[in-house]
Amino acid sequence: MKEKPDLKELFGLLARLAVGGVFIYSGAIKALSPAEEFAYAIETYKVVGAGTALWAAYTVPWIELYAGLLLAAGIFTRFSGLFVAAMLSFFELLLAQAWLRSLPVTSCGCFGAGSSNSITYEFFQNLVFLALLWPAIRLGHRFSADAAVGDK
Amino acid sequence: MSNVKTARLAALAGVLIFVSTTAVLVARQFNLGPDRPAPGFRTFGPDTAAIQIYEYTDFACPACRHAALAMDDIIKIYGAGVKLSFKHYPLESIHPWSASAAAHADCAGEQGKFKEYAAALFETQEAWARAEEKPAQFEAYAKILNLNWVKMQACAKDPATLRRVKLDMAEGGIKGVNATPTFFINGKRAVGGAQLLEQARKFEAILRNSR
Repeated sequence: MKEKPDLKELFGLLARLAVGGVFIYSGAIKALSPAEEFAYAIETYKVVGAGTALWAAYTVPWIELYAGLLLAAGIFTRFSGLFVAAMLSFFELLLAQAWLRSLPVTSCGCFGAGSSNSITYEFFQNLVFLALLWPAIRLGHRFSADAAVGDK
Repeated sequence: MSNVKTARLAALAGVLIFVSTTAVLVARQFNLGPDRPAPGFRTFGPDTAAIQIYEYTDFACPACRHAALAMDDIIKIYGAGVKLSFKHYPLESIHPWSASAAAHADCAGEQGKFKEYAAALFETQEAWARAEEKPAQFEAYAKILNLNWVKMQACAKDPATLRRVKLDMAEGGIKGVNATPTFFINGKRAVGGAQLLEQARKFEAILRNSR
């Protein structure tokens, strides 16, 4: 008989689903919208030019979607978790520099251009997601594809 | 982790990526993405209307002119039951002045006369659509409608105005619009005036069911 899952494992699973789900949502909503819309949001951070922003707008939503799916499903959990952490850290740098430079970022581009919170709000929200990645990677292994897929 | 396990996980990842990519691409074709609201001056009817229509149109396209007349009739008949959001989809490859006409119409809209300016553009599209140089009609209509032409010129050159037109075009592109006029009526696609009228036959039933 299998042991009952303990709270830590459940918390790890929920953390993985939460962060993975946010990435799936933000990737899908942007992939379903015109890339130009997201590109304009990227341009407002004044880090890259229009050409690079458009290129990023075409690729980033798909990367977010795939990374979120792998994390939520628990496929290569450590790798996908660290990859999501690297993306979140990069977003934090973009938000922080915009905040420090007082750039007029009206849409952060985080969840498409349709809805947007302030960059301060998004910065702290991302910190929460970053904190959740630790239990997502370390706990809840039992409910992951990594554990379910066998060697033989 | 053994090679077998790694290969199985990689295959599972591949399946997830394939399925999600296909799902998003199919969702785009079925117009399931988020709707970008059109500016207020290009939106007609209440938000609560049971029939929500997005119209992708080109001021230089003859079929769009006819559809615009049909749309006026639909709005007259169904009144507050219909909300129309007008989106630009200039076919730049065959109508060189369409994008500029769209920008000018938006600028007229900012001065409160989008509908009137759009009607003038549609009515005389043959006169300006294939002009070699910037059509004089753009200014003439502005003057007839008592619009501030200096302000309008500055607005038509403003990157924000051009960006708004380009975004409509990009949105149309992602929804698989490749002919004008294309309508999305409560999410359902109709291309051309005939399909619009075909769907309009169901409007009575939609309005009855929404009461």
